[in-house]
Amino acid sequence: MTRVKITLGSAEALAELDVEGAPKTTSWLKTVLPVEAQAIHSMENGREVYALIDDPQQVPEENQTIYQCVGDLVVYYKPAIFVKPTWPRHVRSFLVVGFIYERQSAIRGMSGPLATNLVGKITEGIDALAHEAPRMRREGFGEIGISLV
Amino acid sequence: MRKLHFELSGASAIAEMHDDVVPKTCDAVWDILPVEGMSIHANWASREIMLHLAGEKILRLPPEGPPRHGAIAPGDIVYFWRSPQMSQGKQLAYSSEFQRELSEFAIFYGEPSGGGLNAQDPTRGAGADLEVTTLFATFIDLPSEFTDRCEEIRHNGLKKLIVKRLET
Repeated sequence: MTRVKITLGSAEALAELDVEGAPKTTSWLKTVLPVEAQAIHSMENGREVYALIDDPQQVPEENQTIYQCVGDLVVYYKPAIFVKPTWPRHVRSFLVVGFIYERQSAIRGMSGPLATNLVGKITEGIDALAHEAPRMRREGFGEIGISLV
Repeated sequence: MRKLHFELSGASAIAEMHDDVVPKTCDAVWDILPVEGMSIHANWASREIMLHLAGEKILRLPPEGPPRHGAIAPGDIVYFWRSPQMSQGKQLAYSSEFQRELSEFAIFYGEPSGGGLNAQDPTRGAGADLEVTTLFATFIDLPSEFTDRCEEIRHNGLKKLIVKRLET
């Protein structure tokens, strides 16, 4: 079992990677960990927090779902317009790793559901994340950290 | 047309009300001005900030004007009311009084507006007893300084927003 620790502000959580279901994406994720990045709250998907991953590797489509659930750890290419109000015009998407911390959420593209690589599931600490993320919506976002346990 | 002045952390914007299309809604909004509060960024409707109406400023208005079928454009300012029975899960980012019934100004400041999950929300058009969305004003002067402040709310947290009558 491969686990990662997720930190968001004062909250900590653990997720189990789905190495069997998403072998390529979990292998890729291990190459970019640890991640220490600015946490960003979704403005289009509900209760999602994500980090931009600056990595030139192309992450393949794998273990995809449009039916994300609370606790899902996902990797996908988010439409640039949902990330920044202005961006380099040749860029149309950003690679992100994120998680869903509450219901009433679903990942969307510009015209409907967006398939995301399901790379793991948060098994401990989801309640802490579900309290810290709304606090950060009110008080400002800090860093998100993801590291191998 | 009557005009509104928005002030957000020192940045200003001016909107024109749609008196000719939704006169009753415009009158109701005009009557409660000025209003101020801490505005919060949307997490379903893309580039939108919200100003929740509290206490004696809360509005419970019937729908007015033509149906918009969910279409939103940057610069739109919408009166939004949601019934307590339409709670969208826990609203821990909101003050406790807004976690069920919600009355607010929804202020769309950029592209995309109203996209994302909000655009596919089946409760849109569910009935006036559940939800009311009335477009009552549109920005006619929306400087980048103001939209920058709006975007900052998403990352840095709540900012004070003041909406006043712009008397000419």
